[in-house]
Amino acid sequence: MIVYRCEDTLESIFTAVYLAYEEKRDLQDTQLSLTEDPLLFATDVSVVADEEKAKKVIRTLVRRFGEKDYHTVCLALATEDTEKAQAVFRTIVEGLGQRPVGRSRVHLFDNLADDYVHKAFALARYANREVGHLIEFLRFEELENGVLYSRVGPKVNALAFLMPHFADRFSIENFVIYDDQRNLFGIHPAGKAWYLFHGEETDQPQPVWSGEEGLYQELFRHFVKTIAIKERYNWKLQRNMLPLRFQEYMTEFQ
Amino acid sequence: MEYLETGQEMSLMDKLGILTDAAKYDVACTSSGVDRKGNGQGIGNCVAAGICHSFSSDGRCISLLKILLTNECIYDCKYCLNRCSNDVPRATFTPEEICTLTMEFYRRNYIEGLFLSSGIIRSPSFTMEMIYRTIWLLRNRYRFNGYVHVKTIPGADWELIRMTGYLADRMSVNLELPTAEGLRTLAPNKHRKNILTPMRQIQNGITQNKNELTLYRSAPRFVGGGQSTQMIIGATPENDYQILNVAESLYQKFSLKRVFYSAFVNVTKDSALPALPGGPPLLREHRLYQADWLLRFYGFRASELLDEKRPYFNVMLDPKEDWAVRHLEQFPVEVNRAPLGQLLRVPGVGVKSAQRIVAARRTTSLTFTDLKKIGVVLKRAIYFLTCNGRMMYPVKLEEDYIVRNLTDEKERIQFGSDGMTYRQMSLFDDGSFSRPLKEVEIYQNAVGSI
Repeated sequence: MIVYRCEDTLESIFTAVYLAYEEKRDLQDTQLSLTEDPLLFATDVSVVADEEKAKKVIRTLVRRFGEKDYHTVCLALATEDTEKAQAVFRTIVEGLGQRPVGRSRVHLFDNLADDYVHKAFALARYANREVGHLIEFLRFEELENGVLYSRVGPKVNALAFLMPHFADRFSIENFVIYDDQRNLFGIHPAGKAWYLFHGEETDQPQPVWSGEEGLYQELFRHFVKTIAIKERYNWKLQRNMLPLRFQEYMTEFQ
Repeated sequence: MEYLETGQEMSLMDKLGILTDAAKYDVACTSSGVDRKGNGQGIGNCVAAGICHSFSSDGRCISLLKILLTNECIYDCKYCLNRCSNDVPRATFTPEEICTLTMEFYRRNYIEGLFLSSGIIRSPSFTMEMIYRTIWLLRNRYRFNGYVHVKTIPGADWELIRMTGYLADRMSVNLELPTAEGLRTLAPNKHRKNILTPMRQIQNGITQNKNELTLYRSAPRFVGGGQSTQMIIGATPENDYQILNVAESLYQKFSLKRVFYSAFVNVTKDSALPALPGGPPLLREHRLYQADWLLRFYGFRASELLDEKRPYFNVMLDPKEDWAVRHLEQFPVEVNRAPLGQLLRVPGVGVKSAQRIVAARRTTSLTFTDLKKIGVVLKRAIYFLTCNGRMMYPVKLEEDYIVRNLTDEKERIQFGSDGMTYRQMSLFDDGSFSRPLKEVEIYQNAVGSI
């Protein structure tokens, strides 16, 4: 058995997928691993990420399965699961092995009866829900220089999926989203393209609120409190819809 | 512009409190139906699925800044907190205040847009004009490109409604009560005709606008998110069958996007209103929403779910289970061959899982383990499905047996506690006694030996 040892990046994993095909391995007997755990009777190959090769894989995925399925693959790879590379690899192998019927495209995630496909699908669904939650529950604070600042603590590496949404919504604003689990900043200068940046919050100067920030926070808290109907109080439902781990980052629960 | 005199000493905080409190019983607060990219000049975009930004302590979502323009009202609807004879503090926002609040909340990602309703001040047309001016300011001066939901004021001039429609994403006229008699008794100033007229006008406007859009792609959009309405449940003696029929005809004849049901909360304590000692009829509201989904996404008709003889929903079973146990001749359904429409009618199978089943069975033959992965709720579905001709467990296709199992673990307490039972109860009529007795046991019971 061949085991490709990759790093936890999109580039590295896609390079490994490329290598498996390029080196004409027996695909059923090949594994992608993100850990260093040794396997019995296996030959290890360490993967050096290669942008060109990764891009070729991306191009093939988009051409064969469409943008949507490629996006789903990326979501699956944004999770923290250690088995994700293997699940995605086998899903791709499965998909490339199928022939399209007529003019319709093969879809990567149709065959949910397959264990690997289901695993990759479940991971992507999990990541998608997390990204969706953040789009809903993320809160900005206005700093004294007019920059909007937000801190989040997601369970998946969601920043790359969050930024396009907010860049479109707040294209004329300067805003920063900080992922405190991964020490990652997403930065959007007004009217320009966004980018990601590695660094720790503690390295930056302590953010200071703008003059009106306190007032609007208080107004919103008042709004949230008033809008609840006393006769219908249902804290359990509230917690189901809005898990506690998000509440610690949210203005209205502080 | 002419603004109304407002108490200058009242702070923004107080006004927001009063006008939120006055708007909170309106349930039609979703941000769905419109997909719009940011325009690069203003702030905001829209996502078709809608986004809920928070959840209040009653578990309802907070998606839009739901406020009234004013809670002053010349009408005297008996169920309404803002009726003119009610002694509550009154307040009115200026358009600038609404715009600033919306913009500042939106920038901080607190809300998805604005939901603006209003009490009737001076006349319906005057109120509608105030609303129009506010939205105009928000769209043009403040360049807000997010979601705007506006209440249509029944009886307002059509021209004003039309102009507002070009600025708003969704408009709604509240039907308030399902029947005309209900409306006559509880809302003496409102007339059914006045409510249905703007609804029809907006519907025609949307159809006309669709035709324009096919010709000219950049034509302005008129109420792109469609229109919705809400009904109060439990204030008047209508039954579920009547309500569901009204909802169905609203979907079919007025092409509404959504009909909302609002469990009645007695806030005015008027003598014409029912006292509700058990709190608002939340379960009834829940069953109506479930049936509403069956109408819109599962291909059911109102007459299939209820009829004149059984005008209320079953308390123990959801409407789909209820329908299924009464139509056992259509079951079991074969997962690997049944058409999509038939799969959708199986309890425990949702729209997504039905679509996934259809996609997955192209490549493999599905088993019950696969169904679990796909997301089918087997707890409900096993009585109605076969995989390759086999059921998961040997199951009797028998109404009593299935009902007992469906209601068994989850709602044992509710079963019969309020006098509403699915069938006559007897001493040994319990899930744990469901095993049929053997011949020997019957004999032993009879002679009293163990």
